[in-house]
Amino acid sequence: MDGACLELAGKIPAESSPLAGTDESALVRRAQAGDRTAFDALVRLYDREVLRLAMRVVKSEDEAADLYQEAFLKVYRSLGRFRFESSFSTWLYRVVVNVCLDHLRRQRSRNEVQPPEQEPGEPEYFHSLADPNPGQHPEQALRAREIGGRIHAALEQLTPRERMVFELKHYQGLKLRAIGQLCGTTEETAKNCLFRATQKLRSCLADLL
Amino acid sequence: MVCEEIEAKMTLYLYGELPDSECAAVEEHFAACADCARHAATARRLQQLLNQQPVAEPAPELLVHCRQALEVALDYEQLGWHSLLRDWTPALSLSHPSGIVAVVGLVIFGFGLGWTLRPQTGRVHTAAPAQASSQATLADLSGARISAIRQVAPDPETGGVKITLDAEHRVTMEGSLDDPRIRDVMLYALRSYSNPGIRLDTLEALRSKVDTPAVQPAFLYVLQHDPNLGLRMEALNAVRKTDWNPEVRGALLNVVEHDKNPGLRGAVVDELSRRALQQHDLQVIQELQRLAETDSDRYVRQKSLSALVALGAAGP
Ligand SMILES: [Zn+2]
Repeated sequence: MDGACLELAGKIPAESSPLAGTDESALVRRAQAGDRTAFDALVRLYDREVLRLAMRVVKSEDEAADLYQEAFLKVYRSLGRFRFESSFSTWLYRVVVNVCLDHLRRQRSRNEVQPPEQEPGEPEYFHSLADPNPGQHPEQALRAREIGGRIHAALEQLTPRERMVFELKHYQGLKLRAIGQLCGTTEETAKNCLFRATQKLRSCLADLL
Repeated sequence: MVCEEIEAKMTLYLYGELPDSECAAVEEHFAACADCARHAATARRLQQLLNQQPVAEPAPELLVHCRQALEVALDYEQLGWHSLLRDWTPALSLSHPSGIVAVVGLVIFGFGLGWTLRPQTGRVHTAAPAQASSQATLADLSGARISAIRQVAPDPETGGVKITLDAEHRVTMEGSLDDPRIRDVMLYALRSYSNPGIRLDTLEALRSKVDTPAVQPAFLYVLQHDPNLGLRMEALNAVRKTDWNPEVRGALLNVVEHDKNPGLRGAVVDELSRRALQQHDLQVIQELQRLAETDSDRYVRQKSLSALVALGAAGP
């Protein structure tokens, strides 16, 4: 794993990464030659992160599973075109971010033709997630759920690109330069997206601040 | 700086993207300008509010479901749907991404005790992590009280595994998957640890050893007793590849008899009928007959019946 990346991600020293090690490229080469076991190994290195990101941009587990599959099928189909000009993880996450952006765009155009069936404050939730705070008082839990709904609805007001930039910045802690790369745009555009996103969120959630 | 400039830089400042040289000016301005200071306080409250909706860990069932669905989809790809699908899929603009690497949400728990288990070598090697307060040997672990397991990660380089856990002291060690001390921790994780994500990781790490006498019972235990359906499914997937023996057969028969989930019972019926065909196992055929007649779930009954028909053990 590239040290620059981890510095950008602001996370951990490279040697702690389970993805560290030179033989990832060997796995990629084997997968490029059609070795399914190698491809499966690559999937398992990254798929939890991919699913976690997918869950952030969709409304249901079914949709998250669809994005997961779409992303890895795209990776599988275009793996032959990967030329080791970047790290495999950058390349893979570009595919994933593209799939998420496409999903957000499709969702947005659907929302424009038909009004949402649910009240904006009551989005559908993932049911099988582990309860992050099991000892919570029921009233607190209800309140947290309400706030969660409001946040979700506010995030839905963002354009696909604003949403993606905001997710990668606020929730995944990436640097704007890396976000620009993943979203196929410049650092400056990513910066503007982040600015607009926070403005919109602040006005949507003003009464909670 | 004037207020308009501050407004433009506030978001970057709060997300740690403003150069140090400009941060000082922004902070000075906050100290002097009540309006902008109030604005910044609101922006901070927004960040805190948004943090109340943290990034959730995917449920293991969902991850397992995704992996299985992907495997099926990839099978279709290899069977020749590839060209068809490719024509329908717009080409990805993936050429020439530059050298900067980004990792999305790579969360590593750096605290605790890390082990790298190497399946081939019996070598036990110890190394202190950067911030470790002490350097310890694997032998130290036998007396250490384990309070939490943070992560179980496969190491693609060695085919081994790295376990991070909290214990009374912090060490990094390398050992073999065959080392009984290491095995004991992993078996502890599989049988007793409450976090299903960790159990799933442990299962995966041990997968290559499923045929060994020390590890196989743990897989059979998970298959029969894990509260998480995804884990039981994964254990079944691993057990499919093992040699047939009385323990495997007993576990599979126990699952079809007692597991509450018809999906898993159906999958085990498939496995049993495959084994019955290979092994001419009469007891399995009898169990399939019982299931075809008495299982509470129609899907399981039908599956068992089809299996018997395929085995030639029942009329159509
Ligand atoms: Zn001011």
